[in-house]
Order: sequence, then C-alpha cells, then structure tokens
Amino acid sequence: MDIANAQLEFRNFNFYYGKFHALKNINFRMARHTVTAFIGPSGCGKSTLLRTINRMYDLYPDQRAEGELLFDGRNLLASDIDVSILRAKIGMVFQKPTPFPMSIYDNIAFGVRLHEKLSVAEMDERVEWALRKAALWEEVKDKLKQSGMSLSGGQQQRLCIARGIAVKPEVLLLDEPTSALDPISTSRIEELVDELKKEFTIVIVTHNMQQAARISDYTAYMYLGEMVEFGVTDELFLKPKRKETEDYITGRFG
Amino acid sequence: MNLLMRRKLINRIALTLSMGAMLFGLFWLTWILWTVFDLGVSGLSLNLFTQMTPPPGASDGGLLNAIAGSVLMVTLATLLGTPIGILAGVYLAEYGRFNVLGQTTRFINDLLLSAPSIVIGLFVYALIVANTGKFSAWSGVVALALIVLPVVVRTTENMLQLVPNTLREAAFALGAPKRVVISKVTLRAARAGVVTGVLLAIARIAGETAPLLFTALSNQFWTLNLNEPMANLPVTIFKFAMSPFVEWQQLAWAGVFLITLGVLALNIIARVFLRAEKLN
Ligand SMILES: Nc1ncnc2c1ncn2[C@@H]1O[C@H](COP(=O)(O)OP(=O)(O)O)[C@@H](O)[C@H]1O
Ligand SMILES: [Mg+2]
Repeated sequence: MDIANAQLEFRNFNFYYGKFHALKNINFRMARHTVTAFIGPSGCGKSTLLRTINRMYDLYPDQRAEGELLFDGRNLLASDIDVSILRAKIGMVFQKPTPFPMSIYDNIAFGVRLHEKLSVAEMDERVEWALRKAALWEEVKDKLKQSGMSLSGGQQQRLCIARGIAVKPEVLLLDEPTSALDPISTSRIEELVDELKKEFTIVIVTHNMQQAARISDYTAYMYLGEMVEFGVTDELFLKPKRKETEDYITGRFG
Repeated sequence: MNLLMRRKLINRIALTLSMGAMLFGLFWLTWILWTVFDLGVSGLSLNLFTQMTPPPGASDGGLLNAIAGSVLMVTLATLLGTPIGILAGVYLAEYGRFNVLGQTTRFINDLLLSAPSIVIGLFVYALIVANTGKFSAWSGVVALALIVLPVVVRTTENMLQLVPNTLREAAFALGAPKRVVISKVTLRAARAGVVTGVLLAIARIAGETAPLLFTALSNQFWTLNLNEPMANLPVTIFKFAMSPFVEWQQLAWAGVFLITLGVLALNIIARVFLRAEKLN
C-alpha cells in the first residue's frame, strides 16, 4: 500500500453544478489495489466526487470540473482524453442495480463487445470469468440466456459488478452498492470487494461507517463539498485528527 | 368512531358514483358491440372474402377488394409512419428534450396528434390529389401515415422518458457511445411500450374514413395499383350503409363487424405482448 506511488490523484480539484460549487479544493491520492471509502452525510458530495473519476459529468453540459485529476500521471480532465477508452479502464456500479434489458450473458458481453473483438469461445470464457469473479457463476451458469432482470436484487448487483469487471478495468467505482440490498446480499458484496481489490483499485461511496471500517484501506470524510480528513481507515476511525471527523464517526453529528 | 363512519359513508358514495359511471359507459359499449355482432354475423359468409363489392341490386357479392385495399393501405401507412415516428420520438426523448428544436417539434406533433382526421384528409387532397388530378391509393397511404406518425412519436418519446436515467448512465459508464446506448439499451427497455403504441396506431387508422374519402376514395373493382383509386373497408361501409339497397346495407354491417374484430384483436395482442414483456 504505497500511497506515494499514486494511481489516482486529485490536485486542487473543484467541481460545479452550474453556479453551485459542489466540490472545493480536493487534494488526495489513491494507490493501486487499495480500497478507498468516501463517507459523510447525505449531500456532502461523495457521489459527485466519484462520478468525476470516469467523467460521468460529461453527459451533462452544465456540469464542470477544474483542477487536475491524474490517472497514472495523465490529467483526465484534459480535452484530448478519449472518454470511451477511459471508461473501459474505470468501471462503475450504481446504487440501484441497473441490469440491461437483455440476457445475463449479453449483459456481461455488452461492454466487452464495445472494446474488443472476441471469438465466441473467447467471449464465453470471458463471461464465465467475470461471473466467477463476481461470485455469481454458480447461481446463473444454467440460465445465462434468461433476462438479467429476472435475478434477485443482490444477484442483479453482482451482475452489474461482473459487467463492470468483464471489460478488465483497472479501477472500479462503487456508489453505495449495497444500500438497496438486504444484509445477506450486502455481506456477500463486501466479501467480494475484499476479493476484488487483489486485482482492481476500488473506490466506494458508503453512508455506512461500519462498512467503510470493514472493507476499506483508506477513508475520506467529506462535509459540504470539502474533504475534511483523509487517511488510513484504522487511524481515521480510531484517532481522527479533526474534531469534525470525530463528531461524525462517534455519531454526535450527521 | 364518528369520523370513521363519516369516512365509510363518503367512501361508499364515491364507490357508488364511480360504479354508476362505469356501468353507464359499459352499457353503451355492450349495446354497440351487440348490434355490430347481431347485424354483422348474419352477413358473414365465404362470399365476403372471395367476391368483389357488387353493383346495386345484385344478390351476391363480397368485400374482397375492400379488405385487400384496407390491409394494403394500412400496412404501407404503418411501414411509412412507424420508422419516422420512432426516430423522431428518439430525437425528442434523447437529444432534444430541452432545446428549441425539440420543444417546437413536440408542440407541432401535439397539434398533429389532435388534428381531426378530416383535416388531414383535406390536406393530402390539396397536396397530392388536386395536383395529380386523380384519387389514388398512395395518397390514402400518405394520409393514414400522417395519422400514425404523431401517435408513434408521442408513445416512443413517453416510453423512452420512462426509462430510468441510471440505466443510460450504466451503459455510458461502460464506454458505450450514445447511439449504442439508445439502440441497444434504452430503446430495448422501452420496446414493449413502443410496439404497443404502433399497434394502437394501426387500430386507429383501420377504421378511419374521412382521410380516405378525399384520397383513395373507393373502387368497385379489384386493384392493387397504388396510382388508382382503391377500395377499402371504411369508405365502402360509408357508401353501402347510406344506400337504399338491403344487400349493400348487409355488407356494410359485415364490414363493420370485420373492422371491430380486427381492432379488438390488435388491442388484445398489444395487451398480451405487454404482459409477456413484463414477465420477461
Ligand atoms: N445534478 C445535480 N445538479 C445540481 N446539484 C446537484 C446535482 N447532483 C447533486 N447536486 C448537489 O451536489 C451536492 C452533492 O451531492 P451528492 O454528490 O449527490 O452527495 P452525496 O452523494 O454525498 O449524498 C448536493 O448539495 C446536491 O444537492
Ligand atoms: Mg450519493
């Protein structure tokens, strides 16, 4: 966990929804193959920060980022970045499961087909690989032709994770991936995150502090668009440097 | 307790009123269907599907040329109106939701949607029939397509708007370009609704008389030539029902019965299709 050797780095980063200044002077780094959690009260800017990493805000003309966001040393905010290639390297999973209206197999193959030309056998292999990584293979291997929407909520979320992994990204962004799930599905996803960090860099938004403490290596506490504190998870939870962080994690606030 | 009783009373009154309204509507509907059935079935025979519309006074004759003409014109109008309508609906929902062109198009489409069909008929008459100097099937096709178009535009747009934005974002997040997101994900998610819209548009034009009266007119004989006037069920029904000849009136009822059956079938197909899609 060498954070000096950052894979992702925010430098003097600011973000605006129209005139609204949603992220203020963000500076921090994320190392390869670590799990970083964003915590903080609702509306503090966790999702906003996460969605800048794959330039999701490009879809909305009134949203704008300033500063630097370095990915392996390259500024992702530069206009010559190919967003499609960027998004192949940085996958994303949303709060509510978002299976596409197609078969389980095609849900996984959809993203792969966008970026690679694989033979049928190679694609079969890739689909199985992704589903195994997402701990879903055993449950769906006999019904790959069925619609992805026919799965349970927890299975759908793992399908979405598999879909994200299938394109072999380097970073996986998870925006409250368990908030719509029951406790058992939640713990399966948490176990999965622990497994996945061996191969992917993971950034996860959560409103659940126990979850952040359980699964992350680094934690960022955000409040009103500012990053109040960033540090190694254990230290941040046991010995927070800032009074505001302590108030939040001890439940005196938020 | 008093409050509870009052609520129960209000509930009962509301329920009675709405049941009454429902029964009132149902009464007329059943009556219409019954009359159509009663008078239509007695005119049903094999001749209906094998013989042309007869001259007045002839003892046999059928509706073959009118059925064929209707099927042909409705099919062509659907094939013409549907793709344009779907593309325009996609534009409105996915590209022009807020811009001026989108809003103008939406407004004009709403006007077209509520335009009386006789206006459409007259428009196509002035545009094509008056210029070419003759009634023709293809001008009828154009008129019917102009009725299909706004219905399909509207349903496509509405159905696409119902697709949650997170689904779009999920596809974009995989690096998909916009056209792939639309064609492979959002349109597919809205498919059932779009198909239903098309089916209902077909049901609507199947019985339209006014636009055909000014365009395809009618034809006593068999023809599939789009440059000629073409027989069709609605105009034939109109002509025959108004006539003093009993045989013609009988055929008119049989035609009404056929159209009703066809529209009913389309509605049922639309429902079954929607349900099948929902259950995946
Ligand atoms: N599309 C948007 N347009 C304008 N303001 C937004 C938009 N999305 C979020 N915001 C605002 O930005 C702030 C941060 O939101 P968000 O990142 O969603 O918070 P969190 O994920 O931490 O709950 C909030 O004040 C929210 O109201
Ligand atoms: Mg959020």
